Amino acid sequence: MADTAVVEKKQGLTFGKKERKLLTDPLSENNPITVQVLGICSALAVTTGMKNALVMAIAVVFVCIFANVITSSIRKMIPKSVRMIVQLIIIATLVTVVELVLKAYAFESYKQLSVFIGLIITNCIVMGRLEAFAMANRPYESALDGLGNGIGYGIILLIVAFVREFFGKGEIFGAKILGATPDYWLNTSESSIMGWYQPNNLMVLFPSAMFVIAVIIWAHRAWKPQLVDVS
Amino acid sequence: MGELVNIFIKSAFIENLALSYFLGMCSYLAVSKTVKTAVGLGLAVIFVLAITMPINWVINVWLLGENGIFQTDLTFLRFILFIAVIASMVQLVEMVVEKYSPSLYNSLGIFLPLITVNCAILGGSLFMVSKEYNFSESVAFGIGGGFGWFLAIVAIAAIREKIKYSAVPPALRGLGMAFLLTGLMGMAFMGLMGIDPAAF
Amino acid sequence: MHNTSQTLRFVLIMTSIVAMLLALLQNGLKSKHDYNEALYSKKATLAAVANQLDIDFSSISSEQVTEIFEKQIKQSVINDEGVVIPKEDLEKDGVKNGKAENLDLVKQDKEPIDERLLPVYEFTKSDGNKYYIVYTRGKGLWDAIWGNIALESDLNTIAGVSFDHKAETPGLGAEIKDNKAWVKQFIGKKLYEPNGEFVGLEVRKGGAKDPMHDVDAISGATITGDGVEEMINTDIVAYDAYFDKLRK
Repeated sequence: MADTAVVEKKQGLTFGKKERKLLTDPLSENNPITVQVLGICSALAVTTGMKNALVMAIAVVFVCIFANVITSSIRKMIPKSVRMIVQLIIIATLVTVVELVLKAYAFESYKQLSVFIGLIITNCIVMGRLEAFAMANRPYESALDGLGNGIGYGIILLIVAFVREFFGKGEIFGAKILGATPDYWLNTSESSIMGWYQPNNLMVLFPSAMFVIAVIIWAHRAWKPQLVDVS
Repeated sequence: MGELVNIFIKSAFIENLALSYFLGMCSYLAVSKTVKTAVGLGLAVIFVLAITMPINWVINVWLLGENGIFQTDLTFLRFILFIAVIASMVQLVEMVVEKYSPSLYNSLGIFLPLITVNCAILGGSLFMVSKEYNFSESVAFGIGGGFGWFLAIVAIAAIREKIKYSAVPPALRGLGMAFLLTGLMGMAFMGLMGIDPAAF
Repeated sequence: MHNTSQTLRFVLIMTSIVAMLLALLQNGLKSKHDYNEALYSKKATLAAVANQLDIDFSSISSEQVTEIFEKQIKQSVINDEGVVIPKEDLEKDGVKNGKAENLDLVKQDKEPIDERLLPVYEFTKSDGNKYYIVYTRGKGLWDAIWGNIALESDLNTIAGVSFDHKAETPGLGAEIKDNKAWVKQFIGKKLYEPNGEFVGLEVRKGGAKDPMHDVDAISGATITGDGVEEMINTDIVAYDAYFDKLRK
């Protein structure tokens, strides 16, 4: 993780080139999933449908931003010896907040995500950003960094979920698109012109997420050859 | 006893934390370049899972449960306490190993901090809660789950060592290939689904 | 820079702030959590009679669920001898308001069958027809599965079902909940032979043979399918005595 450590300056909250880089870098060049390889676990488990993926992405963005800001603002008070535990407690608290709020306002998603909400705590993206960025930078930059990384993660999550839901169930956000009965928008029964497609159940199963991410990485690295690892 | 063996086999092979639930993927992908390091990390995971699982069980039942010492439902503190236990156990283990067995520390030491954020550890504890295991079952689940994770990371490391010599397209080399392989291994492990461990 | 007592003080202050914050949030949202939990199981119960409702079930609102439950459903708790348990006895046992919807079904499932309390929901359609919704619970591949079975007033023909599960594989076992076409197959199946003998249902691999009692299995989810079959066939027997009384 090569980070351009932002030098601490006593200046206002500007939004210049450097800040923009903080925000856009994690979207592609330094994407948490495809380049830094962090936070894979949840990317696999929650991507069977786009709705779950979206809820998860929002939760991670929230936790990322606030964990970064909180850690950054108390970074000078945190004793070095218990640094890890303090960071983890901050993250765990935010994740509990997310869980309690989801349980109150998005119960269906809460049920479907079940243990994977808790696993945001060990989503290495959050922890990795705290350690690599928030411990050394001002809250404002940290917030941007958290937002960027959260969104970079969310985008991949949504792409994977789109592929899996569309080809696996023929649906997008639960709306029927592609299938073999008349209640689908694109009817693929034998009599119609789209008669060739059968929903691919493999896409709904866990391993398919691996394949989809592998293909994304393949495409991403073919596009940006400097990311190819030599080993 | 038979029940415990069942849970061990089930958590090691059938409900493999790495290949059925895909937990702990970050360190699984990062540290599986050579078999030697994979064995080190795998052993450390078994160790930490086997220690933290019973402790978290005690915390969950005696401290947080409605019939615990506070007589109220404190489950909203579960995440914080679980992760605190895991983090402090990892630190403790690190200190003990460093003091009493420097050679083990040299081979395991660098992996220990990584384990705190290994989702397999926290995930194991959360699964233990949702499966409502009792104390001895949670010990068996901890050891079995750790062993399954160990098997998975050693297997992928062995494959990755070999695949280095294959003509893989440059953009797929390394990470991309590791994802594909894990997906294939996951599919193979799906073949074990539904086996009755009592038949062993 | 930092000594041990400072470190300790920092950790203590931080944990107490955090614990207090979370306790406040938990208390503030508790009633909403309970409401959601209750609504979720009510909705699952209603899903069994989704086709008999006057409104489209897929876009039902939480107010509508509560309203239907109040107006069109009569709930009672019975034991395996078919005796309706009075509300006061239930409240003594810790069932809130003595209502079937507050029964702890997971706990009841662990009791031996002759001590078990069973919920029954009597749904009256707007045209006056009655449907009986009963609850079943069993084991899938990974963990528990459960379902609500709605019977027509002949107490034989299935009017609809809804299943749920704790941890079945998405795309395989989880299809018992997600695959609406599969769930639809149960409609119109019979539990009894014309002579009154109980045969139950069969989830058959390779396609249904007997149009009265068979449903197609989900490919790749044999054990979950078998679990559904076993759950229905064993748990509905517990309602037999109650059904016998109703038939008279």
